[in-house]
Amino acid sequence: MAMTPRQFEARYEPAWVELERGLNALDAGRPSRRKAGPFPTDANEAPGAARVAQLYRQCCEHLALARERAYPVHLVARLEALTARAHQRIYRRHDFGLSALRHLALHRAPAAVRALRWHLLVATLVFVLPTIVVGVATWLDPHFVLTVVDAKQVHQFDGMYGPQAGEHLGRTSGDDWTMFGFYIMNNVGIAFRCFAAGLLLGVGSLFMVGYNGLLAGAVAGFLVTRGDSERFFSFVVTHSAFELTAIVLSGAAGLKLGHAMLAPGRLTRTQALMRAARETSPVVFCFTVMLFIAAALEAFWSSAGWIAPGVKYAVGACCWALVFAYLGLQGKGHDATLLEDRTR
Amino acid sequence: MTTLDTKLLAETPEGIAILLRPAGAVPRGLAYGLDLFIRFVVWAVAAAFLARVKGMGTGLMLISAFALEWIYPIVFELLPGAATPGKRAMGLQVMMDTGLPVTPSAAVTRNLLRVADFMPFMFAFGLLSMLLRADFKRLGDVVAGTVVVHADQVRLAGALPEAEPLAPRVPLTRAQQVAILHLAGRARRLTSERVDELAALAENALPPPDYAPGGVSPAPIRPGPRLAAVAQWLMGQR
Repeated sequence: MAMTPRQFEARYEPAWVELERGLNALDAGRPSRRKAGPFPTDANEAPGAARVAQLYRQCCEHLALARERAYPVHLVARLEALTARAHQRIYRRHDFGLSALRHLALHRAPAAVRALRWHLLVATLVFVLPTIVVGVATWLDPHFVLTVVDAKQVHQFDGMYGPQAGEHLGRTSGDDWTMFGFYIMNNVGIAFRCFAAGLLLGVGSLFMVGYNGLLAGAVAGFLVTRGDSERFFSFVVTHSAFELTAIVLSGAAGLKLGHAMLAPGRLTRTQALMRAARETSPVVFCFTVMLFIAAALEAFWSSAGWIAPGVKYAVGACCWALVFAYLGLQGKGHDATLLEDRTR
Repeated sequence: MTTLDTKLLAETPEGIAILLRPAGAVPRGLAYGLDLFIRFVVWAVAAAFLARVKGMGTGLMLISAFALEWIYPIVFELLPGAATPGKRAMGLQVMMDTGLPVTPSAAVTRNLLRVADFMPFMFAFGLLSMLLRADFKRLGDVVAGTVVVHADQVRLAGALPEAEPLAPRVPLTRAQQVAILHLAGRARRLTSERVDELAALAENALPPPDYAPGGVSPAPIRPGPRLAAVAQWLMGQR
C-alpha cells in the first residue's frame, strides 16, 4: 500500500514549515546579516541559505510525488506555492548593482556594438546617403529644401542659425535648462521609437534613420547656401558626435530585431527575437547614455554663442575621436568571451 | 503535464513545473488605463509646482514628462512587487516566463517595445498578439521573454470537510480517486444541495445510504457526507 496523503503530510510537513521560515527570513533580512552560518544550531533559528536550497530540492521531490500520486489539490497547491517562491528566491540573479553597471559600460556595451557591425553599416548608409543627396541637392538649388520641410520650419532654421541668432545658437527661444529638458524628451524618445520600430521587420527603423538623415541634409545644405555654415557647423559638431552616433546605433539595434524576425536562422522566430533583444540591450543602454550626454552638450555647450568656433571644432573633433575610440577599441580582445554570456 | 485552462508551465532545473497564470487583455488594459491616469495626475501636479520655479522649471517639467513616459514602468517593474501601480491595483505582476523575477534588461526591452505594440494605432498589434497567443504576451513580452501574471493564487479547493472515514463500495481507479478528492476539496465553496447533486453521480462508488461503520444507520445519509467520508478514507484516515 502506497503512502496515504495524510502520512505523506505528517512525515514531510516539518520540512515545508522549515523552508517557509527560511524564506521568510531571507525576504526580511539584508544579505549581510545572514552570513552567520548555513545551518541553524538552535531550533528557533531560521535556516540559512544553504539549508534553504537543500529544503527546496526536497520540496521539489515532494511536489513531484504529490502530483504523480494525485494527492488532494490543497496539498499540491501548498507545495506548488512553496516551491515557486523558493525557486524565485534561489534562481534570481544577484549580479546587479554598480559593478555590473561598470562591466556593462566598459565591456559589454562596446562589445555588443561591435557585434552589430553589419547592421551598423546598413544604418550608417541609410543615414548618410540621404544626408549627402539632399544636402547637395539643397546646396545646388536652395528651393529643394521645401520638398523636405515646410516654409515655417525653414524660417525656424533661419532664426536658429541665421545672423540674428545672437547669443544662443540652435534655438528660437528658451533657456539652457528648458532646452536640456526638451532634447532629452525629444531625442531619447525618437531613439527609443526608432529601436522599437525595428520590430516591424526593420522597416520602421530604416525609415526613421533615413528620415532623420534627410532632415539633417536639408538643414545643412540650406544653411550653407545662406552663408550660415560656420554658425551651424560649430553648433552641431560637438553634440552630433553623440547624437548622430546614437541615432544610428538605435537604428542598427532595431534592424537587428527586424533581421531576427525576417531570418531567424535555425531558431524559432520567438527564440531569435529573444536572443536579438538580449544581444542589443547593451546597445540600448549605450545609445541612451550617449543621448543624455548629447542633450547636455547641445543645451549648455553647443548653443553658447560666445565660444569661438575654432574651440568648438577642436572639442568636437575630440568628442568624435572619443566616441569612435570607445565603440571601436574599448575592451577589444574580450569580445568573444563577453558575447558568450547569453544568460538573461 | 497538460492543462485545459490558460496556465503557463515553467519548468525548473529540478524538473518540476511551476504554474503561472498569465493575465489577459482586459485586466492589462485596465491596468494601463489606471497607469495613464496616475501618470497624468503626477505630471499635472509636478507641472503646477514646477511652473512656479524660475529658470530650471520648464526644463524639469519636460524631463519629468520623459521620465513618466519611459522610466516610470521600468522602475516600478524592477522594484519588489514587479508591478506598476496600475498593475498592482489589478493584482498583476511582471515576471520572466521562466517563473523568475524580471531582469533589468528584460524590463527595459518590454517597456521600450510598447511603441511597437501601439502600432499602427491604439495597441492594435499588442492586442492582436495577446489574443492570438495562449500566454497572452504582447510583442514586447515575446521579445523580452516576460509574462504578466495574476499575482494572487486562486484557491478553488481547500482542506477536506471533516467526516468519519468510510471505505468506497468498490475499489477505485486513480482517476476516480482524484475526482472524489477534488470534489470533496471544493465542498466548502458549494451549497450542500449542489454537493449532494454532484456526489450522486458517484453513487456506485459510495457506500450505500444506510451504511454506517459497524452496522446500519437509522436514517439514510445524503450523498455529500458519504462522499466526504470516502474522501477521508482515501486520504488515509481509517
